[in-house]
Parts: sequence; structure tokens; C-alpha cells
Amino acid sequence: MIITNNLTKQYGGNTALDHLNLEVKEGEIYCLLGANGAGKTTTINLLLGFIPPSSGSAFINQLDVQENSKATKQFLAYIPENLMLYPNLTALENLDYFSGIAGKTLSKSDLKIVLEEAGLEQEAFENRISTFSKGMRQKVGIAIALAKDAKVLLLDEPTSGLDPKASNEFGLLLQKLRSKGVATLMATHDLFRAKEVATHIGIMKDGQLKQQFVADAISLPELEKAYLNTMEYKELVP
Amino acid sequence: MLSYNFKYELKLLLRSRWIQLLSIVLLLLFGFSVYNGMQKVEKRQNDIAAAQQEVKENDAMMLKLLDSVERGMEVSASPWTIPTSPMAVGNYHPRVAAMETQSMSFVSTGQADLFTHYVKPTVAGDDFALNFAEMTSPVQLLFGSFDLAFVIIYLLPLLIIAFSYNVLSSEKESGSLRLLAAQPIGIQNWVLQKLGLRFFWLSVLVIAALIIVFLSLGLNPFAGTTLFFGLLGLILVYMLFWFALAFLVNLWVGSSAKNAVAMLGLWVVFVLLVPSVLNQLGNTIYPMPSRTLMINEMRSLKAEVTKKQDEILDNFLRDHPEYALNDTTQSRGFYHRYMASQKLVKEELSPVVNAYEEQLQKQQHWIGRFKWISPAIIAQESLNHMAGTSTQDYENFRKQVIAFAGTWREHFMPFLYNNQNFSQKDYPNLPSFTYIQKSQSRLSAILLLLGMAIGLFGLGFLVSKKGKHVSILNQG
Repeated sequence: MIITNNLTKQYGGNTALDHLNLEVKEGEIYCLLGANGAGKTTTINLLLGFIPPSSGSAFINQLDVQENSKATKQFLAYIPENLMLYPNLTALENLDYFSGIAGKTLSKSDLKIVLEEAGLEQEAFENRISTFSKGMRQKVGIAIALAKDAKVLLLDEPTSGLDPKASNEFGLLLQKLRSKGVATLMATHDLFRAKEVATHIGIMKDGQLKQQFVADAISLPELEKAYLNTMEYKELVP
Repeated sequence: MLSYNFKYELKLLLRSRWIQLLSIVLLLLFGFSVYNGMQKVEKRQNDIAAAQQEVKENDAMMLKLLDSVERGMEVSASPWTIPTSPMAVGNYHPRVAAMETQSMSFVSTGQADLFTHYVKPTVAGDDFALNFAEMTSPVQLLFGSFDLAFVIIYLLPLLIIAFSYNVLSSEKESGSLRLLAAQPIGIQNWVLQKLGLRFFWLSVLVIAALIIVFLSLGLNPFAGTTLFFGLLGLILVYMLFWFALAFLVNLWVGSSAKNAVAMLGLWVVFVLLVPSVLNQLGNTIYPMPSRTLMINEMRSLKAEVTKKQDEILDNFLRDHPEYALNDTTQSRGFYHRYMASQKLVKEELSPVVNAYEEQLQKQQHWIGRFKWISPAIIAQESLNHMAGTSTQDYENFRKQVIAFAGTWREHFMPFLYNNQNFSQKDYPNLPSFTYIQKSQSRLSAILLLLGMAIGLFGLGFLVSKKGKHVSILNQG
């Protein structure tokens, strides 16, 4: 579903992403770990077609992102760190608008089902987004992905700033999407959440993918150690 | 996408109170400006009516005097004002040559506060003609009163700027653009639709506000359907131009602050700077002759001619033998000499007056050639035409009055040179003046503004295609 071939992005003399090769298959959740500036968000921006690559290529559902920018967006959903919806519209209206402009026309009852599936409480459906917490907004984001019937989900630090309960709920939602065959690429700092939800984990530094793991094959302490070693925080390694 | 944008744009505008705010502002601005314009029109109508009433009363007095004289009664009036003398009628009982108001005169004051709307041409002298010939460029005089034209030309673009400058940048700054850009849509199409819908809703508000204001002030907008639709058409294409400019700026510039500065800068350029620069250049390239010098030249010419009045009269009668033949008394007084000399004065003065008029025309032509640079000039000129207060309208009025003054003078010449008295039976035959308004089509102005707007939209698409990835996002 998601493939990058030697994907590289340079800004002037700085290399933000350096020959990234990764693949996320149907039903997989790939978590990209790394410090700020490691190249996680740049990877997501390249997959979204927001910025052109300096070299290499990215594919969504076998379509080259650069050549088929609009077409690839039909298959993907995106939730940024701070999901900003229209504060003066309700959850139902936001969902109707974003799924509508993406070409999915749903009835009001279908929209409610989707919101419910995304874990939003019924009494919040008709409330304006301006009254929502970040966790509730992220649920609307997931609902947009569900309504769109997205095959690929790109998440940029979606759990940052969420309380443990909301973060846990978000993790459960990702598992639900995984069971539907959605391929998810998530950039995060949260090792614990990554270990909990991911099928695959990659550690990035200076734009390079330094290490990759199958999540089930590594324990949380081992992942932490690998992360600290990759980041060269020797003094912190237990 | 359009149906969803249509559905939710109105909701967003209502919930952010934009529609309510714009409705109030437009009603207030249109209400005050139309009321203001109507007051000016009313004053003009009252002035003309007062002048006509005065003429009517003078005429009644004149007819009474004529009746008394014709009955052989003695009258207590200065001999030179007794209306049996054709020159007394021609000088002391002139007709009112009035430029009547048009049905849309309240729309734009135009040149109305600078030129007179009625004159009373007499048989002696044509100094009144000077009143029409202002020495200023039309563009300099374009703006001024708080009328509907001022609201449309000056203030409506400011409302549009406030309504449209941050359509894209606000999405970017709030962060929702990332989510939008992740949908299978073209951002430039999305911006175009948003601005198109804002244009649509603002147009609805403008039309509704105008109809409400017209009806509440006792004007029937549908009485002159063509004029009203012409007015609406002009306003809408002028608004479209500013929305097209907003489209270009939204795609081209970037942050809300920069967009606002860019839009306001363009407003200053198109509404203030270009008209002013064109005016200055017009004055520099085609400087107008001095009015004082022209008047001095007239006076010295008249003085010179007065010295040779006997000779001039002889020449005049040689040219008009019919007057010599019909008059058995051959008694020649002051007015015989004076009127004969007037023709010569006119001929001698014509090069001076023509030079001035030619220069004024050249200046106006020059400005007319470049008016397309500023949509404000095009719109203002068109509104002035609609209101009948444009430079061309006053020039047209001036020409009609000069022609009427000639008719008035010529009407009394046979009386004067045949030494024939004016009597009551001659009164109904006195010439009267009727102003004929030359209608001007607004279609060319509408098409020109529409063309400019389409050009800007095209440029916007070109810009966004070239810079496909430019600043859609704040880089992460």
C-alpha cells in the first residue's frame, strides 16, 4: 500500500530525508520513531504530495504520488498532530464536509454511524468543534478516514498531547482500522504507544532509517535501548 | 465539491456573523448615500423650479405691462425695460435653460457640484458660456460626495478586501489547510469556489440591500428596469474584479497580514493613485490655457470692437439687406450697433475659445485612452453617465445652451432691425429650451471590467500552476 524507493528530500544543502526505503502492507501499522528533525514529518509530507522529492519516489496503492497526486489522495486519510477542523461547524457537519469534498456522499444516519464507530459520544455529534478536546477532534479525524473508506492512513504524532485514556482509545481505533486492512504509517515520539499498536517499527535519525523491527519480535525495554543507542544518548542507556 | 462548499460556506458565514455584519453595513452605507444623493437631486430640482417660477412671474408681469402699453396706458417702469422693446424682452425676460435631473441622478454627484444646472441666456453677451468651461480634468473631479457611487467605488472594495483577503491564508494559519490539501481536490479550485461563493452571497446582499433602500426611500427600482439592471450589472462586475484580485493575492502572496497589505496597496493604486497620476499627466501633457487670460482677451476685444461700432453696423446691414429694406424709419440706436458688433466679437473670439476647448478635449481623450488601467475610473465614469452627471453630459448641456442662446438672439434680430415692437401676440412664439439627455451604454464598461476580472482569474491559475507546491504548508 505504501512504498518509498530511495525517497530523498533536500532543502539547500540540508538533507531532510536520505534515501528512505520502506513498505507498509495492507493491515500493517508502521511506526516511525525519531527525535525532532529526524525526517518523520518530511516523509509524511512527501507521501501526501505536499512537497516534491529531490530524488526517489513514493507510491500509494501502486500509484506514484508525484504523478497522481489527486488520485492517491482518494485512497488516503491524514491526521496531523493538531487536527484543525472548522470550529464553527459541528462534528457531523465537519464529517459531512470533509467526506463530501473527498467524493463520499453519506446520509445523516450513516455519518452518525461512522462517528459512533470512531468512538465519539453521541451527545457530541451536534456540538461545535470549538468545544471539543484534542482527543475528540482526533476521533472526528478517524471518522473522516472511515467515511472516506481510506486504504492508507498517515498519522503525524497523533497521540502527542492526549491524556492516557484518550491515547489508549486512539490506539484501539487504529487496531480497528488495521482489522479492516488499512495500512497505517504513524510518526511518533511515543515508544510505549508504538510498541502497543505497531506491527513494524522504524527508528530514524538525520533523515535516515537506521533500524527496523517487527514489533512482536522486540520488547519495550529492548526498543527503548535500541532507540537510545540510535540517538546516541549513551548516558541514558540502562 | 461545489455543492458541499455551497452548503457549508453559508453556514460558516452565518455562524461567524459575516452575513449579518455585511447586511447591516451595506444597508447603512447604501441608505445614507442614496438619501444624500436624493437630497442633492432635490436641491437641484428646487433650484431649477425656483428659477422657472421666477421666469413665470416675470412673464406675467411682462404681459401685464404689454397689455397696459397696448391699451395706451402710462406705465411706471424704466423705458429700457418696457417689453415692447424686443431687447428688453431678450435681456430682462430670458428663458431658463435647465439641465433636468435624470431618474438615476442620485447615484452619482459626478460633476454636478461643480457646474451649474441652469442658465438664462440673454441676447446681449455670452459670458454665461464661460460657466460651463471648467479648467480641471474630469478625473480630478471624479470623486467627492458621499453618494452611492462613492460607496460602490471606494468602500465596497474595502468590504470585499476584508471579506476575502485570508480565504486561503486563514486555513493555513489555523492548520486546516493540511487536512484540506490531503483530500483529492485542487487547492486553487477550492479557493476559486470559496471566493466565488463569497462573491455570490455578497452580490445577493448588495442587490437585496439596494432594493430595500430604494423602496424604503420611495424609489421604484423597477421603474427604469434597464437602468437598474445596468447599475446592478456594473456593481457586480466591479465586485468581481476585486474578488479576482483577491484570488490572485490569495494564491500568490501568503500570510494573512501580507495579503491584507497587498490588497490594500492595490486598492490605493487602483482607486487613488492611478486616477491621480493620470490627472497629473493629463495636465502636464495638455496644459489648459489660462482662464484669466481668456477673459482679459475677451474684454479687450470687446473694447476694441465698441470703438468701431458704426463701421461694424454698416457692414452688418450690408450683409443683411433684408433689415435695411423692411425698416422704413432707418432709426439705429445702441442695440443695433451692439448686436451687430456681437457677431464680430464671437468670430474674433472663436480661435481663443476653440483653443481652450480643443485642449480640454485632448486632455479628456488622453485620460480616456488610459482609463482601463483603473477599474475605479471605468466604474465611476459609467455611474456618472448613468446619473447624467458626467463631463460629457455637462459638455452636451453646454452645447445645447449655446445653440439655444443663438436661437434666442436670432429670434429678436428681425424685431430689432425692423424696428418692430414686441407685443402680447408674439409671446407664445418665444423659443423655449428642452434639455435632451444623450444616453450612453454601460455595456462596454461592464464588458471591460468583466474582461479584467477574467484575466486576473486566468493569471491566478497560471501562478498557482507554476508554483504548485509553493507555501501550501508550513513545513514540518
